[in-house]
Amino acid sequence: MTVAPVSSMRSQISEFDRLSAHAHLEAMPTPAVVLDGAGMLVAHNSSAQELLQSEVTAGVGHPVGGLFRVMAERANRTDGVEKPASFEQAIGQVWYHVSAYPVWTSLEGPPLQIIIAEDITRRKRAEFEIRESEARLEEATRIAQLGTYKVYWDTEKVQWSPHMYVIHGLSPDSFKHTPEKYREIIHPEDRELFERYGQMQSQGKALHGAEYRIVRKGTTRWLRLDGRVLFDVKGEPYASFGTCQDVTESKQREQELKNLLRRNAILYEALDASPIGVAVVTTDSIRPEVFYINAEFERLTGYKTSSLAKRSINALRPKDGGGEWDGVMLALQMSDGGSFELSCARSDGTNLLAQLQVAPVRDLPGREATVFVLNLRDITIDRQRAEALLQSQKMEALGQLSGGVAHEINNLLQPVLALSDLGQDIADTDPVKVRKYFEVISSSGRKARDVVRQVLTFARRDVAQLAAYPIGTLVSDALHLLHSGLPPGIKLEYEANASDAQAMVNPTQVSQVVLNLVKNAADAMNGEGMVMVQLGLVDLEQGAADALTLAPGRWIKLQVADSGCGMDAYTLSRVFEPFFTTKEAGKGTGLGLSVVYSIVTGWGGALKLESEVDQGTTAVIYLPAALVVAP
Amino acid sequence: MAHILLVEDSPEVSLSVSEILASAGHTTVEAASGKEAIKKLRGAQFDAIVSDIWMPEMDGIELLKEIRGSGNNIPVVVISGGAPNAPLTYTAPLAATFGANVVVYKPFEKAELLKALETVLAD
Repeated sequence: MTVAPVSSMRSQISEFDRLSAHAHLEAMPTPAVVLDGAGMLVAHNSSAQELLQSEVTAGVGHPVGGLFRVMAERANRTDGVEKPASFEQAIGQVWYHVSAYPVWTSLEGPPLQIIIAEDITRRKRAEFEIRESEARLEEATRIAQLGTYKVYWDTEKVQWSPHMYVIHGLSPDSFKHTPEKYREIIHPEDRELFERYGQMQSQGKALHGAEYRIVRKGTTRWLRLDGRVLFDVKGEPYASFGTCQDVTESKQREQELKNLLRRNAILYEALDASPIGVAVVTTDSIRPEVFYINAEFERLTGYKTSSLAKRSINALRPKDGGGEWDGVMLALQMSDGGSFELSCARSDGTNLLAQLQVAPVRDLPGREATVFVLNLRDITIDRQRAEALLQSQKMEALGQLSGGVAHEINNLLQPVLALSDLGQDIADTDPVKVRKYFEVISSSGRKARDVVRQVLTFARRDVAQLAAYPIGTLVSDALHLLHSGLPPGIKLEYEANASDAQAMVNPTQVSQVVLNLVKNAADAMNGEGMVMVQLGLVDLEQGAADALTLAPGRWIKLQVADSGCGMDAYTLSRVFEPFFTTKEAGKGTGLGLSVVYSIVTGWGGALKLESEVDQGTTAVIYLPAALVVAP
Repeated sequence: MAHILLVEDSPEVSLSVSEILASAGHTTVEAASGKEAIKKLRGAQFDAIVSDIWMPEMDGIELLKEIRGSGNNIPVVVISGGAPNAPLTYTAPLAATFGANVVVYKPFEKAELLKALETVLAD
């Protein structure tokens, strides 16, 4: 420590006082100087040395400069020599708290001034930082649309930040805060809730927050309050402060989200209640991935959504075969829809006979689809039902035939019964006549046997094996069985120009086709008219063949024409639908033409109907020719 | 003893019926269709007609319409191969509607036809 020289000391200071003052001065951690009443430097400590130099002070006995002079002047100016004075001043980057203390060394004359300059830069900086942080907080709450409040529980005094008024749509000038007034602003349904929250806070129970509604200028707004409780030294809650935010928009979004989730849940439930398997497949990636499957799809395939999701739809393709799936893949690739009957591999390794419908989901018409809805339906039962239908239709046809069959048999039995009876009477007397009787009985018996065979052939439930048959004979046999079952006014004509032609058909089915077509023709004519059945060969050229979706070449053409009531375009467009009928209830099942259609297409042939109202109808069937015997 | 016009397209049935009639001493003229029957009716007097229903050219119903239409009240026995409950075939009610006196269903025995004929002839 350097002891500053103290020269020019006043006589009134004793040597002891001088040394004591000096020691005190030097012990001060902060720069300190002593000035006489005229502002001349009397003494300073070593800490002040640097400051004095920077303040251009010549030395003891000379006037002080800079900071100390300002202090000295201020002390003089206020004439507050009796009172200590202080101020803060920055020298460069350093802040000083400067204090002046008068010290009387005698009763006369001005006192000495002890001026102490304390470095307060750190405090100043902290103060600045606090101010800065407060400003930032203010800005942040302003940006966050946060209001802040403070409530003193003992006085019920409430302090609001400016934004609190904005949130509440109130003016700080006109709104005088009392609990009653605030209660009026709160939505009636939420008043109790708000009061309970206040009570909890006043009891020192810190809750995270409360959401309640206010009515602001006639509209309801949602507010969220986040409060903290302040405790006094005794641990008693004395106040609560916190933030307040208008959360109406986020509440609305929350509600919208809830609605959306509910809507989704309903849709999922609805999809799960659907009796049809539904899968959603996306084709964003290289392979078509399963996005979702409903409960029925899970049931049909045995897969769970979790096990099939993100996998390729190809997982459902059977290991062996499954060629129909190529069509499905192509549809997905081409953004196309389609309906496929296929085998679907279940998770347990078995296959399911199913119909798969593919429908693209497009954002806009014509736009390529990357999302597809797949409907899966078990058609095992459909197949069985269709077969049962075919069978029952056949039985119905058999029923229709029975009248004709009975007529045939009865006529054949007539000579058998009558002649065998008569023959017994004349067996001894007229053997020539008896022999003739036997011939007729025998021939009638043979004919009856043929009729029975025909009926049995018809009724037999055989698999529709196709083979080459003489089509002319099959048609004439069918017509023979049929003709006596037709109403009296219906004439039936048969013209066969290709009776030797062999067709790849099933004989039973030929009977069914002929029966159905002729019966339809007869029904269209109200009991009066002509049904013309024609059989011939036809060579189809490319254009004609294309129109029938057949290959060009030689076909057998079977044509059934009537002169009946005909059909309008609407009826014509629907005649192949099963159970579509224009007949009165009980007159027909509506199965006839659909059965004909399925049989003929099953043969690889084609069926075409030409009809106009009141002009009659012509059904043309193209049958695959097996072999044509040259005439 | 009566003179009968037998209308029947099946030769075998025609033979058996005419033999039944002959066995009872009736005489028979045969016709294979309604048209032929009309012609034969013009040329001769008959006591009764025994007619089938389903025949080419002109069937039994047409024949009945023609006969009754011209005011002829000759007894007609219809012999039918149809089953009474088969809707699409000729039935007794239909024949009766158009003036048949009686319907006998095939296959009938000798006595059945002769009894029916006897009944209509007695009326």
